[in-house]
Amino acid sequence: MILANNITLSYDNKKNIIENANFNIKEKEFIFISGSSGSGKSTLLKSFYGELAVKSGHLFVNKVDLSKKNYSKLLDLRKDLGIVFQDYKLIKEYTIEENIMLPLRVHNYDDSVSKTQVKKLLKHVKLSHKTGVYPDELSGGEQQRVAVARALAHNPNIIFADEPTGNLDDYSSEVIWTLLKNANEHLGITVVVVTHRIPKDLGIKYRRFNIDDGVLYETS
Amino acid sequence: MRHLKSFVSFIFPLIIMLSIFSIYLIVDKVVNNYKKSIINDYAIVVITNTPFISIDEVADIKVKNIEPLSRSKIIKGIKNNLSNSSLELLDKKLPYFYKIYLEDFPTTLKLEQIRKELNTISNIRRVETFSNDHNKVYSLLILIQDIVFILFIVVFILSLLLLSKQIKIWFFEHDERISIIQLHGGSLYYSSKPILKTIILSSIISASVVVSLLYMMIDNLNLIIQPEILSFMPAIIHLEFEALQIIILSFVIPLITFFGLLIQHKSK
Repeated sequence: MILANNITLSYDNKKNIIENANFNIKEKEFIFISGSSGSGKSTLLKSFYGELAVKSGHLFVNKVDLSKKNYSKLLDLRKDLGIVFQDYKLIKEYTIEENIMLPLRVHNYDDSVSKTQVKKLLKHVKLSHKTGVYPDELSGGEQQRVAVARALAHNPNIIFADEPTGNLDDYSSEVIWTLLKNANEHLGITVVVVTHRIPKDLGIKYRRFNIDDGVLYETS
Repeated sequence: MRHLKSFVSFIFPLIIMLSIFSIYLIVDKVVNNYKKSIINDYAIVVITNTPFISIDEVADIKVKNIEPLSRSKIIKGIKNNLSNSSLELLDKKLPYFYKIYLEDFPTTLKLEQIRKELNTISNIRRVETFSNDHNKVYSLLILIQDIVFILFIVVFILSLLLLSKQIKIWFFEHDERISIIQLHGGSLYYSSKPILKTIILSSIISASVVVSLLYMMIDNLNLIIQPEILSFMPAIIHLEFEALQIIILSFVIPLITFFGLLIQHKSK
């Protein structure tokens, strides 16, 4: 599913943030990537969906070689991914339904199918009472729940989540962890979460990677 | 308010450009109409040694029609002053006269060139071209046509700069939305659709305004144009083709600018 072979990452060819990382993430796995602030966790995640190019080595996600620059293949890959961003990245001119519908529209789903799916997801993220609302009218926790619903909308085969519960209230954090756990357990979606705080009672089998001083290693 | 302002910033140069283009089309139509009306009234007269004229060897001259002038009519006009023997001699010695009608009305320079080229044909003894008065009117019309064309080119370039600047601003304003959609696998074209919709709406509004103004102007020509010039203009009442050209231009220019900037944005 995700295969990294000696990958090195850096911004603008400056100091390397991740050096010669090797790992293999299989289907239906739940992965945590942790490390201290500025260690390069988010940078590594960005490389998984092609927002940051690989400086050297080979990175395969869904069999797409991200070390080769191919714009149309990258877009095709992203269509099959669900991404939860630390800063939510909701489109403020869209209502929350339209935001959740975005991946479905990119996939050219029928509007009636999309609306049914959105309704279902709003129920899952406990925001059914907020229909027609714009992201600016929601709290941070609610916005992140909308972002998670958007990531799940098109039934992706991998979900990447960057600090999905950072600075969120307990209720929102719980809703989000439950959703990610269910997506992995019941839908078989591979989940890769970058976080500095792994929940203690997640009740799911997972693998954990740590980044320290640019070196990625697996911990038990 | 901000959206309205940016919308007007796009529509305004487009309307100006289309207005100048429509003026150019009208002037062009007037000049062409004038050319057509005078081409039948004017002909080049050539005098040849033999009753045969072939100007095929001069490739640059587009001849519509060659009409021989009757020798008997010429002799009839002067026979009162001549004896019979002189008339017989004149009939033998009189050269042959032809009127050459051209397909296109030539400029003064072109006419001079035609005259020189006709003079190179061995059979032709003499060439008489149009009067100077006529060429002055024609040259004036051509000058107006050229000035309007140059004005259109200048306005076209300036408008293009303003249009591309406004589209760049829209790309900048939509940058966050575009990047979010692209992160979800939407193409740059897909993510730029709101900009494209605004451009198409602007084109529809601009074309409607300019075409309406054009028809209003045609309906009130007698108020804005001198009666002498109006006499060349009956044909411009039918402006369907010109309206179509304005509509096409109103869509083609903004869309080409949009797709050009889209490619530029993509390469970034």
